[in-house]
Amino acid sequence: MNKFIEITFRWLTIAIIALTASLAMPAQGVRPTDKTHRTSPAPKPKNEPEPPSMPRIPRGEVSERSIKVDPGVNVWIPCVSRGSVKINGWNRNEVRVFVDGGNKFNYTVQEKSPQSGDPVWVKVSGVQPKGRFGPVSECIWGDDIEIDVPANASVNLKGQETTIRVDSVRKAEIKVVGGNISLRNVANGIGAYSGQGDITVEASRGSISLESTTGNILVFEAGPSEIADWFKAKTNGGTISLQGLTHRQVEVNSISGSVNFSGTIRTGGSYNLRTSRGSIRMAIPIAVSSKISATYGYGTFKSEIPIDIATENTSPGPIKTIVGTFGKGGDAIIRLASNNGSIAITKML
Amino acid sequence: MKENCLDIGIVQAFMDGELPHDQIAGVSDHLAGCDSCAFMLSEAEDQSSLVFSALDREFNSLVPTQRLWNKINHSIDIERESRPFWQKAQAFLASAFASPSMIGAAGLLIAVGAFSLVLLNRAPLSSDIAALPTQSATTGVASSDQKVDVEPSSESAVARNPVGDMVIELKPTFEQAAYRPKAVSKGPAVERSAPAIAYAYMEGEESYVRTISSLARTVEEQKDAVLRPSERVAYERDMALVNDTIAKMRQEVKRNPRNDSAKQVLYSSYQNKIDLLNSVSQKEELVASLSK
Repeated sequence: MNKFIEITFRWLTIAIIALTASLAMPAQGVRPTDKTHRTSPAPKPKNEPEPPSMPRIPRGEVSERSIKVDPGVNVWIPCVSRGSVKINGWNRNEVRVFVDGGNKFNYTVQEKSPQSGDPVWVKVSGVQPKGRFGPVSECIWGDDIEIDVPANASVNLKGQETTIRVDSVRKAEIKVVGGNISLRNVANGIGAYSGQGDITVEASRGSISLESTTGNILVFEAGPSEIADWFKAKTNGGTISLQGLTHRQVEVNSISGSVNFSGTIRTGGSYNLRTSRGSIRMAIPIAVSSKISATYGYGTFKSEIPIDIATENTSPGPIKTIVGTFGKGGDAIIRLASNNGSIAITKML
Repeated sequence: MKENCLDIGIVQAFMDGELPHDQIAGVSDHLAGCDSCAFMLSEAEDQSSLVFSALDREFNSLVPTQRLWNKINHSIDIERESRPFWQKAQAFLASAFASPSMIGAAGLLIAVGAFSLVLLNRAPLSSDIAALPTQSATTGVASSDQKVDVEPSSESAVARNPVGDMVIELKPTFEQAAYRPKAVSKGPAVERSAPAIAYAYMEGEESYVRTISSLARTVEEQKDAVLRPSERVAYERDMALVNDTIAKMRQEVKRNPRNDSAKQVLYSSYQNKIDLLNSVSQKEELVASLSK
């Protein structure tokens, strides 16, 4: 009797397994063994692109949130791990963050205005998804990250491999490990650092400090917002190009890149342009009045604008110097130094 | 009965198996043909069996005693081998200095050794090493126009010369006189002390060198982890360029100490080097702050 039960149980188990397998097969895309379906597969459309062979990065979510803030709010984004970030100033007293294909984020009010009670310091950071374990990260990531802030806001952002574009804010402080930074219409000061990428500044005011390790620095139409605002640009291996710069204190240094300057020389200004191995090109108005000191090594020195030379040492050797004045002299000072490149001063058209 | 019967001693030795091989066969043949000797052997065997049966308990008790001795000796050997060195040495010394003559000999040997060591060290100290500081100091107070062609080393000690602003770097060059080659000791003292003079820093240059030295140590550990290959190539290229400029400008300043332009370029090159080193640290800090 027991043996009969055992045999019955075995057969019943086999039957259940077979039934389960037959039900699961269509779900896995296995065609039924019908000869009528065994024709050649339908041709693919010719214009259909081949799928990429690279592993696909998991696509994130679409998130959007906003918060009412003080007009002069400081928006702090401690970490952006990847994606293209666009920060835009608008005429609303609120901060709005839109992340496409990325993670969720949160606002943390760090400080409120004692007068209005609105946040004056807001932190925007990523949120750890529920059910995911591991180190907690504050980083935001996404394909596109758009951040709208009040036009009078200041923005402080750090990122890894990201492209940053900032437009129409009061102040911007951006640091990224790698990637290009573009800033325009910044009203009152810029600090930008990119480990490996270009920095572009356009139509901005205030003290400006730009630093790139291996990238180029390009500045168009920038100037001070106050009388003592300064401009500093430094790169190890890139070119620095300054067009229409109106700061009085200009400090530019490149180790192995060239330096180009085109702009007016303002009264009482100090212009120091240095490079170790690169040329210096300076285009200034013909009616300029300033002192000039040029130091160069194995290159040449040329000036389209007449110089009233005070001292000159052009004897063969690693150092040659020319000290003189443009026009009536004045109290502006231009110092140019290139150890292994040429120096050229041209008339600004 | 055969003539020349065997001696009772030979019979006893035969019975005990103590005869040489060449005699055993002869004794056996004799015993086979001589009744009296065979009788004597049987008597001896009887006596022997009687004695052995009486002393059987005593004889058997010796076997475990011998085994015990063997075990004891084996244990002593093992213990002796596993003893630490200092215990062995202590035991050796204790046994060696047991006699007063050995103590006297050892004391004499130590006294002679100490005396010869003092004699060996006295003569070179007065002639060679004592001359070094004198010569270094003499060269150190030289005028600032004196040429010095030795690269500066930030890790060595730096002393400030009370005469003028010239700074002399003195490397500690202590050597055992016994290992000093004869050719060096015979040569002029100026040649020997030349490496001790390093470089006359300009005003403010020393702080640059020290800063660079401390930064470089930090960056050397970081740069492989922080910089990507392309950045690393650019970094090394720029560093080589800056070092080249520093070397050229230092040479120019040495040639003409009044060349202010060369000094300025030298200082700015030092600053470039610091900036270059700082760029690695700055990037490392940024990466670290982002990975929190």
